[in-house]
Amino acid sequence: MKHRLIPFLAAATLVVSAISGAAFAAEPIKVGASLPLTGGFSVTGDKHKVGYELCVGMINDNGGILGRKIDLIVSDNRSDTETAISQYERMINVDKVDVIFGTFSSKLTFPVSAITERYGMVNPIPSGGALRIYSIGHKNLFYFQQNAAEYIGKTVQRTLTDLVDTSKMPKTVAIVRADDFFANGIAAGLLGSEVKLPGSGKVVANLAPGNLANLGMKVVLNEKWPEEGFSDWVTLANSIKRSNAEFLVALTASAEEAVQLTRALQTLKYQPKAIYMSQGTQNEYLDSVGKASEGIMVHSSWHPAAGWKGVLSGKPFGNKDFIAAFKARYGAEPDEDGAIPFALCQGMEQAIRGAGSTDNKKIADWMHARTAADPVRTILGPFHWDDVGLPVDKSHLMTQWQGGELRFIYPTDEFEGTSPILYPKPQW
Amino acid sequence: MTDILQILLIGAVLGGVYALMASGLTLIFGVMKIINLAHPVFIIIGAYISYWLFTLVGLDPILSMPIAMIALFCLGIVVYKLIFEREASSAKYSEMTVLLTFAVALSFDGLLGVLFGNIQRITSPSYAVEAVMLGDLFLPKGQFYAGLISIALIGALVAFLKFTRFGYAIRATTQNREAAQLLGVNVGLVSTITFGIGIGLAGASGALISFIFSFFPARHWEWIALLMSLIVLGGMGRLMGAVVGAFLLAIVSAFVGSYFGSTWSMMTFYLALFLILLVRPQGLFGEKME
Repeated sequence: MKHRLIPFLAAATLVVSAISGAAFAAEPIKVGASLPLTGGFSVTGDKHKVGYELCVGMINDNGGILGRKIDLIVSDNRSDTETAISQYERMINVDKVDVIFGTFSSKLTFPVSAITERYGMVNPIPSGGALRIYSIGHKNLFYFQQNAAEYIGKTVQRTLTDLVDTSKMPKTVAIVRADDFFANGIAAGLLGSEVKLPGSGKVVANLAPGNLANLGMKVVLNEKWPEEGFSDWVTLANSIKRSNAEFLVALTASAEEAVQLTRALQTLKYQPKAIYMSQGTQNEYLDSVGKASEGIMVHSSWHPAAGWKGVLSGKPFGNKDFIAAFKARYGAEPDEDGAIPFALCQGMEQAIRGAGSTDNKKIADWMHARTAADPVRTILGPFHWDDVGLPVDKSHLMTQWQGGELRFIYPTDEFEGTSPILYPKPQW
Repeated sequence: MTDILQILLIGAVLGGVYALMASGLTLIFGVMKIINLAHPVFIIIGAYISYWLFTLVGLDPILSMPIAMIALFCLGIVVYKLIFEREASSAKYSEMTVLLTFAVALSFDGLLGVLFGNIQRITSPSYAVEAVMLGDLFLPKGQFYAGLISIALIGALVAFLKFTRFGYAIRATTQNREAAQLLGVNVGLVSTITFGIGIGLAGASGALISFIFSFFPARHWEWIALLMSLIVLGGMGRLMGAVVGAFLLAIVSAFVGSYFGSTWSMMTFYLALFLILLVRPQGLFGEKME
């Protein structure tokens, strides 16, 4: 019996080797991503690269997609719009990439989305939440975060109305922000402004009365700082303190801005009832501000404790698996900026498998056909999209720094382990 | 009135820091006519030195400032010898150095990215987030200490230029390179040492800003325009001009930020740059150009 098995096993081994050999002899699937690895967005751009690379590496280790390995081509666009446009054009026309992965920031995504539309490429977007991007009429956009920036204010509003006693609710608010696509988008929702398309001025959404008005708060300070090169944080903090606002909405566009503003506010001992920031979930934020982070709320698309169950290479691969894989490869804790691109890559892997091809028309059709019952499953939760490419039925998490840890405080019923809100914000 | 005094104080302490950041830049231009676009990247290197000494061995950034200064002085001399000395006699030296310093900035930016990663950093001694209360007024300690030390360092530099033999040689070279050479000044050595001093000052200011501004390798691009506006306002190559320019613009920008909004505070620097170039291109302290 033993002897009869040997030739059979040898033959089987040969067949398997031939099949797998053929698989990797096949042309790799070329994936192009232009990311800001230097310049103003370099900190976050670098983390996006890490997220993409981790995911692609794991897919390749698992045998690739449709029997083909993935060849990830990443170019540095220096945080520059023109460079991002020309790099995607080059990737599509010269490098002949099969698929693209999106870039970081609304500022870069807005013009790039016109290029991907022109060439009929699916544009999966990791970080480009400005509503205007999705209001042009492009058909191939798929956003891999919870919702457009303009709707993040809903999470702020719900957090306060559901978790804070009405009698203790702040009555005044200061809203300060970076003058960029993303922060201005969040501000539009909070202040109830009209969202207009650049150039034509066409109104694509009227968000009146706005989340702050819904909360019954009076805006006592409304100020922007330039998106690049701003250094006068103490003067800004002084203006905030002079406003005596009970609630501070600080729409920071990067962890770096969140650090600078937090430290300036701490120096001046400005003591509102609550502070919400739009960036500041990153590990380096905690490293730089330490205990001053206590009680600061930041919305997030991802949280290490969120029990989302995704899929990778056809097998279950959830948030916990991602954290373990990230730590094993990089020896560091992941944060939101690494998780989002990973989720995007995970979603695109399912899309290529689902479409059975790298034909972007088929991929787009497959992605548009996702539903609540049959979504793309990622470490950021399930995704299916509306016609313009915004996720349906998803809202951001509200997190809060408590005892040196980023806890999620809202929604309260989606996962286990939701922490109670720390309110009012403790003394510095 | 309290508000006005408060804004004045905030602007003034920041002005001291800007003055030190700009002093090395103007010194190098004064002596060698090098428009050093790489100056802010050397500031970043100084900031990294202090950051790591603070993080790894707990050395206060004010105490590590001399280390950063000496390290950058040496680096400055190496960079000068390798890159800038060779073409010093070229007629188009100033124009060439714009490109050369741009390349130096790009190279160090990339190198820092590889060495330390694209992560924002800031040094966190306790005084960086404390304030001295003066009645109703407050003075951010971090900016205050950094401003004071900056002024002391600039004072020492002025004394060095005024009262030492080598200082005379530097001043003579600044005023007229050829005449200084004819009178026996070793302008080659003066240039090398001055470049080292200028970059050393960048290192010192890097140590001080490491607890005021967060930094990452690419941050230097945001500072070059600001620093240029300070030295152009004061008069390119004029040390006292850079100091006055720094205080003036930092204070005006604090008032603009407080009364017209933060969007406009940074515009103050660029607007000043345009205006001074239109109205008085030689700057406040510069001599009239032929």
